[in-house]
Amino acid sequence: MIKYFKDIFLGAQSLLVGLWVTIGYMFKPIVTVQYPREKNKIPPAYRGHLEFTRDPETGGSRCVVCLRCVQSCPSKCISIDWEIKGEKRKRILKSYVQDFTRCSQCGLCVEACELGAIRFSNEYELVGFAKEDFYFNLVKMLEKR
Amino acid sequence: MADPVLPYQFVSEIFFCGFVVLALSGGIIAVSARYLLHALLGLVVTLFGVAGLYLYLGSFFISLMQVLIYVGAICVTIVFAIMLTETPDQVKENHKSGLRSFLAAGAGLAALSCAFQFIYLTEWQPALSRTDDFSIIAVGKRLLTEYCLVFEMISLVLLFAIIGSIILARGGRGN
Amino acid sequence: MALLPPEFIRILISSVLIVSFVFLNAMILVYIERKVAGHIQRRPGPMEVGPHGILQTLIDGLKLMGKQIIFPDNIDKPLFCIAPLLAFVPAVVAFVVIPFSPKLQAVDLDMGIIFILALASLNVLAILLAGWSSNNKYSLIGAMRSVAQNIAYEIPMLLSLLAVLFMTNSLSMKSIVEAQKPLWFIVVQPVAFLIYFIASLAETNRAPFDLPEAESELTAGFHTEYGGMAYGLFYLGEYANMVMVGAITTTFFLGGWSGPPLPYMEYSGAFWFLAKVYFIVFSMIWFRWTFPRVRFDQLMNFCWKIMVPFGLVNLMITALVLKI
Repeated sequence: MIKYFKDIFLGAQSLLVGLWVTIGYMFKPIVTVQYPREKNKIPPAYRGHLEFTRDPETGGSRCVVCLRCVQSCPSKCISIDWEIKGEKRKRILKSYVQDFTRCSQCGLCVEACELGAIRFSNEYELVGFAKEDFYFNLVKMLEKR
Repeated sequence: MADPVLPYQFVSEIFFCGFVVLALSGGIIAVSARYLLHALLGLVVTLFGVAGLYLYLGSFFISLMQVLIYVGAICVTIVFAIMLTETPDQVKENHKSGLRSFLAAGAGLAALSCAFQFIYLTEWQPALSRTDDFSIIAVGKRLLTEYCLVFEMISLVLLFAIIGSIILARGGRGN
Repeated sequence: MALLPPEFIRILISSVLIVSFVFLNAMILVYIERKVAGHIQRRPGPMEVGPHGILQTLIDGLKLMGKQIIFPDNIDKPLFCIAPLLAFVPAVVAFVVIPFSPKLQAVDLDMGIIFILALASLNVLAILLAGWSSNNKYSLIGAMRSVAQNIAYEIPMLLSLLAVLFMTNSLSMKSIVEAQKPLWFIVVQPVAFLIYFIASLAETNRAPFDLPEAESELTAGFHTEYGGMAYGLFYLGEYANMVMVGAITTTFFLGGWSGPPLPYMEYSGAFWFLAKVYFIVFSMIWFRWTFPRVRFDQLMNFCWKIMVPFGLVNLMITALVLKI
């Protein structure tokens, strides 16, 4: 009989504690981020798709078509097209396409690039209707930027 | 519109007929339904019709009690019992044999003739000439003094209902 | 116009007002529920449609009205159609006897509370029909749970209301409010208040007693198969019932429309009435987002081993004190 009343009392007490907790939370500030309106800051180490760094002198990319990134890529997802021009027979970059559907963001290409011409972008809002939407042409993207 | 009361009397008579039709049609549904649950819903309709008749007679309290107790409590309990016993798949199995339906009809007719006998023997008075006090206090006093036996008989009926539902439930589980 | 007496016109106007009140109130309550739920979980709740999302429920309602009602195969179609109406109509009609203020009451019936209880008892039947006619195991299980729960919790609920009725000696909602002029009944009958409040949570299938529509186990319980406005009617009925519980609690325990005097108290008492009602409804929402769902055996044990004995003892003590 004593246990019966004790149970009721303890139960009621714990219920009240629960209510106190939730009403307290109700007046605390909101912790969620309102995504399309607000965005979290992306940490610098985030690995998105590849992008060119801009050469401040030329305004273009630093890439000299040494093809180390292509050689280092374990998934063979980088394809580069170039043309040879001028007296020094210099390689001029025509297109630099990363197949993002196969890339595993291992970062070997970024490490291999001694000139620092490529880096990971912070882009995470990617959406597309076809596989081809994820073949990123870095040259065109640099021009657009 | 010479007589202002006349149209209202007409309306109230329409209501009376409506309630009677409701009660009877509920009864027909209850008897002819294939599913036990449909039969019960027929009973609910009948009870609403009867509640309407109480309303017509001017006893609001009794009509509300009819809905509260019969529809809200007893019918729901019966449904509960039905749900414990029968699923729609089982309906095909309990086909009606000729003998059983004959016996049922006989029992029903016997009960009906008994009831008619009583109806015939009773001297009916209009409700208003017996009392015009339909208050809760009057109803309570009469139930516990004059009509005590009837009151107890009703509880006996409820006891039968409980026992019947237990038997149905136990049979349905194969015990 | 000879056929239409003023009383008839008055009832017509008040019923239109009541129906619009129920619809408006469902809209507001859905919004409040979502906002409170959001803030308790430290998120903002609906924010997109209108400033702070206040038009969200309006848009939701329009969407529901625009949707097709789908009838699954092998359902019991007549019953499937009746069930939502049966859930909605009695919940609205019951508002006829609610005394919002001394003069804002559609009809003051002698037995107002019995009228409400009689109509509330139809709610179980509606849930049952919905569950049975849907021909779906989740619906049926939800309906069965609902019936078991409603039958069990009706007893302590009636016991607690009876304790108050002993004191007022009247079943009319208006006179119950007037009997609380000196002292609200929550002070005199705290046990009855608690029992009524808990039992009414179970009666309206609200958390922590929301087993009939436990979304994590039964998808949606008895209204799993309903869509469009048929589902909307169940929803409206549920919120109407919530306000009805708030209104009964206010009338029985919180002194109805009484409160600090306002100008035109005859009518503006409705302000205090609604304030109390919405406080009760708020606590129901608060409960929902605080407590986890009870298990079925806990539910039944709680009713028969705690609520019913307490209700009976409370009733006996009330009767004793009143007679001495």
